[in-house]
Amino acid sequence: MMNEKVSNETTAEEEADVLLQKLLHLKQYEVPEVARMTRNKQNIMRQVRQAQMEKRKPLLDLLELNIPWFFAEPKYGIAALFVAFVGLQYVGMNAKNSATSTGIYTSTANVASFEQDVPVNIVTNRYPSLPSNYPLFGEPQGDQSVIPAAFEYK
Amino acid sequence: MVGNVNLEPDELPDDEEPVSGAASEEDVVEDDGPSDDELVLKAQQGDIQAFDLLVERYHSRIYSLTYNMTSNREDAEDLTQEIFVKAFEALPRFKGKSSFYTWLYRIGVNKTINYRKKRNRKRALSLDSFDQDIKLDDDYHDLTAKGSPLRSISLSELQIKLNEALQGLSEKHRTVVVMHDMQGIPHDEIAKVVGASVGTVRSRLFYARRQMQNELSEFMK
Repeated sequence: MMNEKVSNETTAEEEADVLLQKLLHLKQYEVPEVARMTRNKQNIMRQVRQAQMEKRKPLLDLLELNIPWFFAEPKYGIAALFVAFVGLQYVGMNAKNSATSTGIYTSTANVASFEQDVPVNIVTNRYPSLPSNYPLFGEPQGDQSVIPAAFEYK
Repeated sequence: MVGNVNLEPDELPDDEEPVSGAASEEDVVEDDGPSDDELVLKAQQGDIQAFDLLVERYHSRIYSLTYNMTSNREDAEDLTQEIFVKAFEALPRFKGKSSFYTWLYRIGVNKTINYRKKRNRKRALSLDSFDQDIKLDDDYHDLTAKGSPLRSISLSELQIKLNEALQGLSEKHRTVVVMHDMQGIPHDEIAKVVGASVGTVRSRLFYARRQMQNELSEFMK
């Protein structure tokens, strides 16, 4: 009796399932208008192309976009590259020199500083010292003129 | 192989790639022409034409998914557009761990659920019209046969009732019903798309059907 009841319920459920499946199956006949779908696909591809354009461009493309003259006339481009190369070399050399001579990154051996005070022998007496009683002038001559006395440096 | 079982589909990153085992029949090329893998590779290299072919191949299925999830054709069109554009933008991150189809579906399901959440209200139905071929269908004949409760209502009334019942389901229940009962996607594929176990998918399907039967009880006699 019980089994029969369960069996009946199962059958009813199965029937309801089948009926529902049939109803849902009908939804497959809901079809969109072809024109709307075509337009939708076109809109998708338009947006996709737009997205593609907005994607990050490669570095070369960006350069071409920003400095077109560089690419339009290659000889100027090469010349500009050469100038840039020389300039960079110059800047690099300067940077190297300044790094080896001063600054916090240089070794102690290269640190520029004031030179140590070296005792200097200052010559205070450039002239030979003379005895205090050394006569500067000779005896007056007959016309009372005096002439410096000659002296000998010892 | 199942993705992250603990996450609901709406919590999964939009373009996270579900890991797939052997390719299902859906993965393989259906019509003549290059395979999905070839087209994806070309599209990743910037070939727009290749992506155009992918759009052509999957447009109707993605539209069908979004339409049945929303029962609103304007929303479905917007969503279809957003899904393909999102897929294109995320294509460089697609590594081929799953089929393109499964990956696209995952984006589709997540986008649709998030779209509905953002709106935070039920939209009015805006339905596509029935194809006249419906009258040639055997199921239609059975349902409208003499003595059937459906005999007394018009086709448009039936359409509205059916869509209202579908919209009465929760997002996750509607997702499995749409994918399984309307689009014929197997349980394991659905599991990969929604990031749940096969058991969870079956269980959701069971409850969703019961709820729909209750909603449509007047036709279930």
